[in-house]
Amino acid sequence: MRMAGEEFVKALADLDEARVLELTRKRVDAKEDPFTILDDVRKATDIIGKRFEEGRYFVSDLIMAGEILKQVMDLLRPVMGKKKGVSKGKVVVGTVEGDVHDIGLSIVTALLEAEGFEVVNLGVDQPPKAFVEAIRNHKPKVVGLSGLLTEAIESMKKTIEEIKAAGLRDKVKVIIGGGRTSEEVKEYTGADEWADDAAVGVRKIKELAGVA
Amino acid sequence: MQLYKERLERVEAVMRGKEPDRVPIYAATAVWHGAYAGYTTREVLFDYGKCREAALKVARDFDFDLWAVIAGLEGMILCTAFMEKQPEVGVSSRFLVGKFHEVLRDVYTRWPGIELAENAHPQFIGKELMKVEEYEQLAENPLDFIHRVILPRMCEGLRDVGSPEYNATLAKFGMEVERYTSFFNNLIVGLIGLGYPAIPMSWSYAPLDFIGDFLRDVKNVVLDLYRHPDKVEAAVKALTPVFVKTAAISGAIPPEVKKQLGTDIVQCFFPLHLNEYLNPKLYNEFYWPYLKKVFEEVIKMGQTPVVLFEGRHDAHLETLRELPKKKVVGVFEKTDPRKVREVAGDHVILVSGPPNALLIGGTPQKVEEYMKKLLEDVKEGGFMIWPGVDGGLSRDVKPENLKAMVEAIKKYGKY
Repeated sequence: MRMAGEEFVKALADLDEARVLELTRKRVDAKEDPFTILDDVRKATDIIGKRFEEGRYFVSDLIMAGEILKQVMDLLRPVMGKKKGVSKGKVVVGTVEGDVHDIGLSIVTALLEAEGFEVVNLGVDQPPKAFVEAIRNHKPKVVGLSGLLTEAIESMKKTIEEIKAAGLRDKVKVIIGGGRTSEEVKEYTGADEWADDAAVGVRKIKELAGVA
Repeated sequence: MQLYKERLERVEAVMRGKEPDRVPIYAATAVWHGAYAGYTTREVLFDYGKCREAALKVARDFDFDLWAVIAGLEGMILCTAFMEKQPEVGVSSRFLVGKFHEVLRDVYTRWPGIELAENAHPQFIGKELMKVEEYEQLAENPLDFIHRVILPRMCEGLRDVGSPEYNATLAKFGMEVERYTSFFNNLIVGLIGLGYPAIPMSWSYAPLDFIGDFLRDVKNVVLDLYRHPDKVEAAVKALTPVFVKTAAISGAIPPEVKKQLGTDIVQCFFPLHLNEYLNPKLYNEFYWPYLKKVFEEVIKMGQTPVVLFEGRHDAHLETLRELPKKKVVGVFEKTDPRKVREVAGDHVILVSGPPNALLIGGTPQKVEEYMKKLLEDVKEGGFMIWPGVDGGLSRDVKPENLKAMVEAIKKYGKY
């Protein structure tokens, strides 16, 4: 069985889509514990994230990884049944008001789910109050504000201000993500962290959630 | 006209790979001028009178060397569709402006006052309009495919080919193109009167970006490169001559116009989108060879490619050394210009500038410090500043920061 696991991890880390899906089906058919498979998924996503940070993988590779992960999760979900794995915690993510882009948001969601987080994805163009309500309802460890446009910077600032005004700022860590974010933008908006790519974003969310 | 001449000489020198008297400023925006003049984003995008007035106010209040108002979103598909058979429409529909969106009701874009709030920035979202099975059809005859298959899927007003609504939409589109053209020409005349040079522009595109932006969408084209590389390659090959032709037609500036404007430079505009997404293997196989081919042909025609290297271009910098020296102007959004200088040297005419985040959240003093360092580090050998280097001046840029930038360039940008 371990051999199958190693081969699976390698195929997934190497983004060999056909092989990963074939191995997943085989393992599911062999009635292997889906949570063992899930552990291997996490091992592989760790490698993918590392390769990205080392400059060996690029956004195209993350898009492919997200696509493979989605299909693997679709195969595993029915056999996981009601039993839940050990959750690493809840994360609320969404694209801020005035911005309707979602590529970064989808990649981050796929990677976080593979990592074992419960992800509440609010979708795009979400006003500050949608984030405030989601924090009240879901009590996440981390909130991720996504945005591609430069104009999203003001929306992120406004959202964080409203989270503060609602008295929730010290209950949650906030990370901003998107191509225009930077250390300066983090300071300006009052976020705890920033990331301009999905792999770094996921690493920082793990750190903020205290599960790194 | 002294100011016109002075600014033009400054910009021309850099575009020819030389050092002028000081570093020129090439400012561009979609909506910032409106915010500066006190208009909502909706107003400045849909009311040509207000747009013109705001653009001229900025021209009077600020001392840039080139000032371009591009009040639209990525619209190369319209430009490509019409260029060959109806160049007037092709040339003027390079950017998809709000009024075109109103008429065509395209599925790619979202606009303030229509799908978005009054003050939201217009956005290009894109959509998967071509199925993976249709690559062959695209490769066989790109223009025919765009007209018969894509435009009806792209525009609600063109859904039913040959219907009364279809014909009415096209006729109305022609009228809006005419209105936009006269607004634009009017604006240029106003800017020339204020001493702002007009350097003609021509239109081209990276072939693979065309598929990503307008046909398959970014995510799908990336997946196609892994799953169906042969199909993509055939399509990119077929699109390459299309974008040589759009440049040839749009860049054919009559000699009397060149004489009137005082320049024979034609800037051939290329915004690159997938460069940051692709790993070097995919970039070198599907993106760069075809883009390079278009660059080479455009340079042969005597035009100057002005290329927006969006996002991080770090992984692909080495490939720039394959370009002829001092022929291609490169605006680098997130790549450190020092690194570009070091790796690409004279193979690219370097343009960089302060990011929008600094012009929004910084202070005049911080802006001055940033500019001083930037200019000291890379101005040697010719260099141009593109303020708000990530996409041009954003709506929230603070005028005092932009003023500080101009002053810093006058102080530290002299040769």
